[in-house]
Amino acid sequence: MNAAIARTAAEEALGFHLPNRRMEEWRWTDLRQLIDKPYPPRQKVEAKGGDVERLLASSPFAGVAATRMVFVNGEYDAKHSKQSNAFVESTAALDDPVNLMNVAFATDGARLRIEGNVDTPIEFVFISTDASPRTVATRNVIEIADDASATIIETHLGEGSYLANSVTEIRIGHNARLDRVKVELESHDAVHLAHAHVIVDRNAAFRDFTLTAGAKLNRQNGTFRFIGEFADAKVSGAYLLAGKQHADTRLVVGHEVANCASRELFKCVMDGHARGIFQGKVIVRPGAQKTDGKQSSHALLLSETAEFDAKPELEIYADDVACGHGATSGDLNHDHVFYLKSRGIPEAEAKALLIAAFVGEAFDTVHHDGIRAALEDFAARWLTERRRKG
Amino acid sequence: MTLLDIDNLHVKLEDEDREIIRGLTLAVNPGEVHAIMGPNGSGKSTLSYVLSGREGYQVTEGSVTYKGEDLLEMPPEERAAKGVFLAFQYPIEIPGVATMQFLKVALNSQRKARGEKELSTPDFMRLVKDRAAKLNVSQDMLKRPVNVGFSGGEKKRAEILQMAVLEPSLCILDETDSGLDIDALRVVAEGVNALRSPDRAMIVITHYQRLLDYIVPDFVHVLSKGRIVKSGDKSLALELEEKGYAEFTQDAA
Ligand SMILES: Nc1ncnc2c1ncn2[C@@H]1O[C@H](COP(=O)(O)OP(=O)(O)OP(=O)(O)O)[C@@H](O)[C@H]1O
Ligand SMILES: [Mg+2]
Repeated sequence: MNAAIARTAAEEALGFHLPNRRMEEWRWTDLRQLIDKPYPPRQKVEAKGGDVERLLASSPFAGVAATRMVFVNGEYDAKHSKQSNAFVESTAALDDPVNLMNVAFATDGARLRIEGNVDTPIEFVFISTDASPRTVATRNVIEIADDASATIIETHLGEGSYLANSVTEIRIGHNARLDRVKVELESHDAVHLAHAHVIVDRNAAFRDFTLTAGAKLNRQNGTFRFIGEFADAKVSGAYLLAGKQHADTRLVVGHEVANCASRELFKCVMDGHARGIFQGKVIVRPGAQKTDGKQSSHALLLSETAEFDAKPELEIYADDVACGHGATSGDLNHDHVFYLKSRGIPEAEAKALLIAAFVGEAFDTVHHDGIRAALEDFAARWLTERRRKG
Repeated sequence: MTLLDIDNLHVKLEDEDREIIRGLTLAVNPGEVHAIMGPNGSGKSTLSYVLSGREGYQVTEGSVTYKGEDLLEMPPEERAAKGVFLAFQYPIEIPGVATMQFLKVALNSQRKARGEKELSTPDFMRLVKDRAAKLNVSQDMLKRPVNVGFSGGEKKRAEILQMAVLEPSLCILDETDSGLDIDALRVVAEGVNALRSPDRAMIVITHYQRLLDYIVPDFVHVLSKGRIVKSGDKSLALELEEKGYAEFTQDAA
């Protein structure tokens, strides 16, 4: 059907049709309209001296002891990396537009197979340096072997104007555990399109946390499949958005077998003219009895012009399940603000405390103390910055 | 000098044409304890909210002077820094804000506003531990978010702990005794009495004479339909306990 429509300049440069609002799951994020300039793929860009170091130092996790793998403008950077790639094959066949572009354009990405218990977090840092607008695509493939465990951080940083396309495939084996933390701090002039595809096997535990604070336009998909019983996944996230930022998260949790539990919790703080969207879908396949699947999204609107939409969906084909969803959206509780002020706390500080408390609930799902503290620091700095700007 | 001077105060709800405080006059001097009693809905909590600066009320007439300044002009945080403290009738829960962090930010914000040096973390911890022990507030309660999961009585004790840490000059206690068991009532009253001093005043709102056995007031006032209809010494509380409010509320009608 798209063939009939003339391609936009952005589509021309990519050689792909971009999703538009007539496609149900893209109704709030019409990439065809929102991507308003060409981001040609396959552009080799060299970082200028000092850029990489400066951006690395700006990571909220710069002070966290971690084994780093650094990718600069889509290419592995051996000089700043402590760990090299293993050979792990991509297996996910996803037909969404973000993935199709990724398959066509990805230049590099992390490939890892984790065996045993790896205590030190592994951090993938994706850096885009200032250059002419282009698409930077990376693809990560991670395999957590049976009984293995690891904490993996994905940090996205950048300067200038670019479109980052990031796909991560994860397979988690029997009795294995993965804590994944992603922070999206792309340049304020960047577009970030991502898809995480996670397959969770028997008895496995998966924790996923995503902080979305960067980029002007953001779309992050998550597809989570339970393929073995008694597994558990907690997927959480936080938005810290201001100005005209736009962030859309769409998660699909597929309970394909019985006795698995999934939890989704998103806390979204929006200021200025920011636009936030959370679409969560839980599918319980026939036979997936005793499924426990719950999702909730909560938005805190700090200005009258910020906007939040939530679309929870349940698709249930089994009868003995406990599934539910909830979504709230509002501004700060006036009684809470008054209580703090009545104790002598100035209004701006009272609000900052309450906002930090609001997003903090999502950080609580992050187990690693150092990483959680770094996230809290980041949120505190974001709030101070917001106050400084008035 | 009078600490608090309320003169012919009239207050209505901001979005409703109903007058709740209807010509209230009250002077409180340093060192004094004033008890305010009165039927449900007579405006006791409203008075305490107006004094602490809560939104939603409109003063249509009269004035409130505190330490020689117009109290009604100040935002709530300034009133607090200048020593006004309200122990809420219904303390609210604030999920996600740790009690200790909240207390520290509150104390240091007040000190900063007064041009005093902020307290270091160890000094602050010592202060809170000392005050908490005196009020039987457990370490476990201090570890939780503000009031979250506290029982009714625990919330009231936590309010008095905040008061003991912040050391205000005007303490307004709104039904601090309701919800307290007999032992807790004694502990809280002792905590309040420990704060009595020649330069600190208290307004104690209560329905029960029992609290006034512990915190002995200098004056007792009966509030009915938004104004003080009778004032006396502590014997007035005993009289009210015996006879009820009927004779005063009729006067006010
Ligand atoms: N925000 C409000 N909206 C509507 N009515 C209000 C509001 N605040 C106070 N009122 C009304 O004003 C009157 C006085 O209320 P207030 O809470 O001050 O009474 P009180 O003397 O403290 O009663 P109690 O002994 O039950 O605590 C009541 O009729 C109450 O319903
Ligand atoms: Mg009351």
